[in-house]
Amino acid sequence: MSRMQRLQLTLAAVLLAPALALAQEIKVGGIFDLTGITADVGKPYAQGVRDAVQWVNENGGVNGKKIRLVDSDYGYKIPEANATYKRLTGTEKVILINGWGTGDTEALKAVVAADKVPYFSASFSAHLTDPAKTPYNFFVGPSYSDVLRAWLFWVKEDWKDKSRNPRVAFFYGDNAYGKSPIEAGRRFCKEIGIDLVAEEVLPGIVQDATSQLLDMKQKGADYAFTQVTVTNFSVVLRDAKKLGLATKWGSNTWGFGENLIAVARDAADGVVAAMLNPPFGEGVPGMAKVVEFHKKNHPGDKHDTNYVRGWSYVMVWSEGLKRADKAKALTGEGIKAALETLKDFDVGGLAAPVTYTSADHRPTTKVSLYQIQGGKIVKLSDQEQPRKQEWLGL
Amino acid sequence: MRCGDFRTTYAADAAIFETPISRWATVGFLVALAAVPAVASTYWLDVLNRVAIASIAAVGLNILTGFTGQISLGNAAFLAVGAYATAAMAGSAGLPFVATIPLAGALTALVGMVFGVPSLRLKGLYLAMATLAAHFIVEFVANHWDSVTGGVNWISVPAARLGPLALDTDAKLFYLVVPLAAFLALFAKNLFRTRVGKAFVAIRDQDISAEVIGVRVFRYKLLSFGVSSFYVGVAGALVAYQARIISPENFPITLAIDQLGMIIIGGLGSVQGSIFGAAFITLLPEVLRLATGELSAQFPGLTDLFAPLRTGLFGLVIVLFLVFEPDGLAARWRLIKAYWKLYPFSY
Amino acid sequence: MFFAQLVMNGLVVGSIYALVALGFVVIYKASSVLNFAQGEFLMLGAYVCLAILDAGRVPFAAAFLLTLAFSVALGIFLERVVLRPMIGEPVISVIMVTLGLSAILKAVVQCVWGTDTRPFPQVFPSEPVHFGPFPVSQGYLWSVACVSVLLILFTIFFKYTREGIAMRAVAFSQQTALSMGISVKRMFALTWSIAAVVSAVGGVLLGAVRGSVDGSLAFFGLKVVPVAILGGLDSVLGAIVGGLTIGVLENLSGGYLDPVFGGGVKEVAPFVVLVLILMVKPYGLFGKVKIERV
Repeated sequence: MSRMQRLQLTLAAVLLAPALALAQEIKVGGIFDLTGITADVGKPYAQGVRDAVQWVNENGGVNGKKIRLVDSDYGYKIPEANATYKRLTGTEKVILINGWGTGDTEALKAVVAADKVPYFSASFSAHLTDPAKTPYNFFVGPSYSDVLRAWLFWVKEDWKDKSRNPRVAFFYGDNAYGKSPIEAGRRFCKEIGIDLVAEEVLPGIVQDATSQLLDMKQKGADYAFTQVTVTNFSVVLRDAKKLGLATKWGSNTWGFGENLIAVARDAADGVVAAMLNPPFGEGVPGMAKVVEFHKKNHPGDKHDTNYVRGWSYVMVWSEGLKRADKAKALTGEGIKAALETLKDFDVGGLAAPVTYTSADHRPTTKVSLYQIQGGKIVKLSDQEQPRKQEWLGL
Repeated sequence: MRCGDFRTTYAADAAIFETPISRWATVGFLVALAAVPAVASTYWLDVLNRVAIASIAAVGLNILTGFTGQISLGNAAFLAVGAYATAAMAGSAGLPFVATIPLAGALTALVGMVFGVPSLRLKGLYLAMATLAAHFIVEFVANHWDSVTGGVNWISVPAARLGPLALDTDAKLFYLVVPLAAFLALFAKNLFRTRVGKAFVAIRDQDISAEVIGVRVFRYKLLSFGVSSFYVGVAGALVAYQARIISPENFPITLAIDQLGMIIIGGLGSVQGSIFGAAFITLLPEVLRLATGELSAQFPGLTDLFAPLRTGLFGLVIVLFLVFEPDGLAARWRLIKAYWKLYPFSY
Repeated sequence: MFFAQLVMNGLVVGSIYALVALGFVVIYKASSVLNFAQGEFLMLGAYVCLAILDAGRVPFAAAFLLTLAFSVALGIFLERVVLRPMIGEPVISVIMVTLGLSAILKAVVQCVWGTDTRPFPQVFPSEPVHFGPFPVSQGYLWSVACVSVLLILFTIFFKYTREGIAMRAVAFSQQTALSMGISVKRMFALTWSIAAVVSAVGGVLLGAVRGSVDGSLAFFGLKVVPVAILGGLDSVLGAIVGGLTIGVLENLSGGYLDPVFGGGVKEVAPFVVLVLILMVKPYGLFGKVKIERV
């Protein structure tokens, strides 16, 4: 298509769009990262959300009403998210937003609360779980802090030498996401008797992690947990292999998945990580519709756990919309109230069952740990963390 | 019928508005702008505010680069200084905006002059390198001086306040940002009718000759850094009040490149051009966003292309302007005016 | 031991910087243009090589050569379309045109290959080579080899070959060179091709070392600015010494200062050095002392 034609099409569409809009629509905003530094996981997630919205619309909608997803790419930039948010709420008048990253979600949390817009994001930061502080923030899965605690718990069990405590290092990015669970991790290490010997900070783009790894080696860490992305984690793993380190690696969900094996190859063997959603195609009841949708619409595409995550999000918030609509309260406040009636809401195994109350937005505290063994992702254990009051928001 | 400009006095030659029509057109434009908040949506107000803020920063950069000939890649860093200074003063100290904005400007001017010191020995490419380094150093400080900047997270800024008046909406902020931009543009325009401004231009055109005719080159270069950074600092303060949440991500190196793009597209050494350029570069992604947004229903996947399209279009516009219209939009605008002035006898 | 290992790692990583800085220097040497799109050349090279490898069952060596051929074409094309109209324009225009170019190349890569991290096939065995107690990735070893070969090649090229001498003549004075019958345009096209080729080599090596290719590779364009300034913008030897020095400096500051400051020093240290050099010795370690002073 030539530039000119594209321009004409644009003009035509701008003029016609309002006329085509349907009356019975629920507008939901999407703020995704399709091109930023987390795009490798952000894109499949966005695809999952879009597909699931289409599926919901094809299967009865929200009590007959269609969902219209108005989405936008913000490139993992806080200012861009800020501007997009203004547009979504100011011009598009969306009543709920499906967002993405930690930095932008935390930056927007005060505005979201003031505007009363329920805000789902894929930031599992525990700071978002205390409704006294962030009444309109939601996510689906265990928090970063719970994941780190579960992993530390696993370390304690895995450590056989009882003459001394296991030594642990944390690797995290120099950003809000990286630092989110670190304080919780520090405290939990003390609680259960693990020596935290090193904290290594990684830049946004890791080209070579040798200096950090050498520092860690000097301090003698037996285990190391990373709170980074797949791309950066694989650089760390490859350099660790090069240096011949015996450290056992752990990661949260964003540094893990099918793609880690593809990029880090044999260096990824033995990594223990939390997965919040099953891999695509796993035999859980909720997966049938996902696979069927995939076969019908784009059988050629490859999907992963992040795609499944997108689906699980829509399953949860569309249920909230349905309940709010039944209560004739399709507003921000109404949706929040409806979501807080969810109790052990089952999304067919696409994610752990979800519970929100007006005093606690921790959706679940169940963490499933997986390990890469010989190039395959193998499930290790499920760990149910206690719902301690003092951990709320930490 | 007018058939051209004939200037018979020096005063007429140095006039800000060449003809009464252009003066009244400008006044009319400003009056029309005042009515905008009544009709525009928050989104468009947000965009307009950003255009006005970008204009201030672009005028500032143009004073340094376009008028004095000192290339700076450090504009994003100077914006950051202004913004973080405002966050600190408005946040914990609770100062009203009449105090924070000039103070932020003054502080940034100081920082700008420090980074201007290498210009004592360097010019052209090398000065560009020095300011590039300045950018990364300021970024590092913003990332790691947690107590002031909030570190890598973000810091929230209270709404611009003066006594009981709080500019907490885009519409209210509009009435601060736009008049300030207009005033600063007028000030810059006047600056170049004075001794100082003419010294800047002399340095740009030939530094050695400037020294010979009695311009103290180093002093005026520093002054240029100071004035320019003051403008940028004011813009930074407004960014803080407008975004209300600032993080180091607000000021990436690409922002400095965007700003250079603004003055290139608008026209180096033209105050009016800076404003055109700021509007052009700020509106470009918004128009593109609207277009891709509206078309995404028919062409799924277009949203995914938004970011590369924006980057590519920006680059393309810069390259095309440099190749085909190196004097920028300001020159184009003059040509259009000249055409209509003599219509229908223009040739 | 810790110190020695950091230095060793700095040297091998620095060899990649040196490689990219070479492209920088070659362009500057011939045309006094600072090419801010160097990082994009590198990224594009890596993506093209990956695309060729993915498309057909070609051996790595063939794909590599094809990538180099592509880079030559790219260099010639860009010089013709974008850079030639810029001859004689002020410095800021030239800087901006390369910045605009970098934006366009970035966008092209994103449009064609998207933003996902793409796994790069295993080219070198993942087992490191041990020099005494120091393990070194095989990819970096190749980069050290490339840099050494290129250093020799460029030295011979600029000293003894017709084209090399013509290029230096062009850098010295375009008018004089023209009147001596040298085609300035051809020389410019040649330099841009060389720069694109050198960067593409760097990109392919980096892709192989990291095992993946993504948009962050373009960041190297800015990283090598301090390298080129440190060595002297117009010195081939300077680019290499500068690259190795900055590599070591990064690793030392990463090893010793990062734990103190909570990260980030490794990335900013080269720029602090850049400011210091500009203050003290702006023409760099090996550059020609001809910088204009005011």
